[in-house]
Amino acid sequence: MKGTVYLNDKTGIVVIGATGREASQVIKESETLYPGIIKAGITPGKGGSSELPVPVFDTLKEAVSDPKVGKLLNTALIYVPPVSVLDAVMECLDNGIKVLYIITEHVPIRDSEVIYQEKVRRGAIIVGGTSLGCFVPSVGRIGAIGGKDPTVAFRDGGIVVISKSGGLTVTTAEMFKRRGWGTYMALAIGGDIISNTTYADVLQEIKGDPRVKGVVMLGEPGGSYEEQVAGLIMSGGFDKPVAAFISGRFQERMPEGVAFGHAGAIVERGMGKATDKIARLEAAGKKYPVKVAFYYHDLVKTIESLGVPRDFEDSTTEHVKPLYSTF
Amino acid sequence: MKLYEHEALGSIFKKYKIPVPRYVFSAEMNDAVRQFVDKEPGVVIKSMVLVGKRGKAGAVKVVSDKSQVEKVFSDLATREVYGERSIGALVEEKLDIEKEFYLSVTYSTKDRAPAIIFSEHGGMDVEEIDPKLIHTYIVSDVRSVYPYQIRQFLAGIGFSDKELLRPLSEVIVNVYNAFWGSESRLLEINPLVVARSGDKRKIVAADAVVILDDDASVNPAVVYGARSAQGRPLTQREQDAILIDQGDHRGKAGSYVELDGDIAMMTFGGGGSTVTAETAIEAGLRIANLTDIGGNPPAEKMYRISRIILSKPGLKGVLVCGGTASNTRIDVTLGEGLAKALDDMNAEGKLDKNLVWVVRRSGPEYVKGLKMLHECFVRNGIRGEIYDSQLPITEAPIRLKELLIKLVGYKPEEVV
Repeated sequence: MKGTVYLNDKTGIVVIGATGREASQVIKESETLYPGIIKAGITPGKGGSSELPVPVFDTLKEAVSDPKVGKLLNTALIYVPPVSVLDAVMECLDNGIKVLYIITEHVPIRDSEVIYQEKVRRGAIIVGGTSLGCFVPSVGRIGAIGGKDPTVAFRDGGIVVISKSGGLTVTTAEMFKRRGWGTYMALAIGGDIISNTTYADVLQEIKGDPRVKGVVMLGEPGGSYEEQVAGLIMSGGFDKPVAAFISGRFQERMPEGVAFGHAGAIVERGMGKATDKIARLEAAGKKYPVKVAFYYHDLVKTIESLGVPRDFEDSTTEHVKPLYSTF
Repeated sequence: MKLYEHEALGSIFKKYKIPVPRYVFSAEMNDAVRQFVDKEPGVVIKSMVLVGKRGKAGAVKVVSDKSQVEKVFSDLATREVYGERSIGALVEEKLDIEKEFYLSVTYSTKDRAPAIIFSEHGGMDVEEIDPKLIHTYIVSDVRSVYPYQIRQFLAGIGFSDKELLRPLSEVIVNVYNAFWGSESRLLEINPLVVARSGDKRKIVAADAVVILDDDASVNPAVVYGARSAQGRPLTQREQDAILIDQGDHRGKAGSYVELDGDIAMMTFGGGGSTVTAETAIEAGLRIANLTDIGGNPPAEKMYRISRIILSKPGLKGVLVCGGTASNTRIDVTLGEGLAKALDDMNAEGKLDKNLVWVVRRSGPEYVKGLKMLHECFVRNGIRGEIYDSQLPITEAPIRLKELLIKLVGYKPEEVV
């Protein structure tokens, strides 16, 4: 198999909520960039529609029974409104789809909890909510990650980028690409409080993969998923280089309860603060190849200092000039 | 969104049959309060604020001498507690308290499940309770939560008061059901008291803290009215911003938290916004707001949030900053939405030409979008620099600081 459990050369995608504004744009883009990776779309009431470059069905049951595409479907990309996400997840699980991406933001926490418990019972892989998707340059992509021209940010290499923030996943891959490191996989896990795939889940999946040379992890305040990485590493569960950046130290200097960013990025009751996460990871770094970057742009030096080899040449110039200036 | 205690009692505790003291809430002294007090031998009066630790601030008082009620009430109903103005006072029956427990339900990210947290040693701040005396029951199957499970849990932690096993387990399940049914992210009762009532004992919630999920299937801001997470009333700009996303889930442009600074922040993406704001503060810029625009909002949403962000008085600089967007269209957001806001503000004479701008953005149609924004800058006489992703995202605020110092003599904050 080429790729990871999250995205590989056998991946066949069905898009749930396919004819919506964002989903239809993503399907069209994907068809141009990676033709054939998306096999079908589902929108109740739009079955048989020809508005998309893939067949559209009213129900997932019809799609999985379709003689042409049915057997190829194994991954779902969910784009429905927040209150319909739980329904879409259950439709996927009940129709045998085992890898799901929830792109939708603002999924009610209660629904996320029900989804997580079903995922565990059924042994499925679910990424999100609030995921932007996954990119494996040697295989393709799931979702909008990397936009219309993903070559700007992504080139095949040995780094795995894992981030709650979708935007920073791409921004980080691009920063590394400019400096000579390519991406093996970039996964936007989303910042929801109940996260179906955590950093530690990903590390456990990829720990034996020889193509992984180093991991860049972008964390945020709230919850304990970053701390769990420190725990996993300390227990010997992952031994490759990990460079981490945890944003949100500044929130600790602000009035308590200022909510900002993702739903999960809320500092409450003194738990899950950026400084707590940094301290735990730095403690792991005393014995294992883990380092925390102080500034976001220090991540590059951090990966370099951990001895992760460049995949190609550094292409940076000394001084960046503005594209436009009106001074 | 956090609820006031009287809201939690009236709408959630009542519905889920969580026993509470007799109470009345009022913004000012009136006949309802007087009649209530007349029937009670003693009362407890509490300031209604969202901030915690009221007791320590002297905002909870037991009044047994009824001649003091009017005075205490009018003090607590209007006083400021840790800087937050009280919206009224809650008057409750005075309970004959035998014991105080701690009880809360919240989500544990360690277990990715609801956690029922219980201690026999309540009444003080939970941070002050010995962690060894705090016990957690993880709801690993939300489809079935029964009192017998709670009794097994209580027996397992050596709960000493056997007579209370059944009634307490039933109250705890009701509290869990209230948490789950109301889509809370925290429901806390501290203290949950055992009170004497004649020769009987009853379990009563003597406090109620409820934080609802802002993403709940029924939007709490619609039910209870929007409020600031900072425990202060929303500013006009914050209220206007909330309206942007209402009834339209295409992208998000309505998150806006107003701060005291002079640098307008027009930042994109949850993570991108956080790192940009963080670096701006580290660099000594005094930021005027936080925002988090994303998910490819239409031009109209971008237009509205741009006008709100730029309407704050006293601004010196503007940072428009985001990473490499995957689906947010740069031509739509910056080339159309922001540019139209600037055109209109200029036409209305509301655009401050002394502002110094740094723009750093990449993503779909960024070449077109940044060019459109540049043309807008030129036609409106706006001073700024526009970068794409050649400039690492966190260097944009540092560049703005350099320009501000050079051009307007900006004095950055000393950051420790």
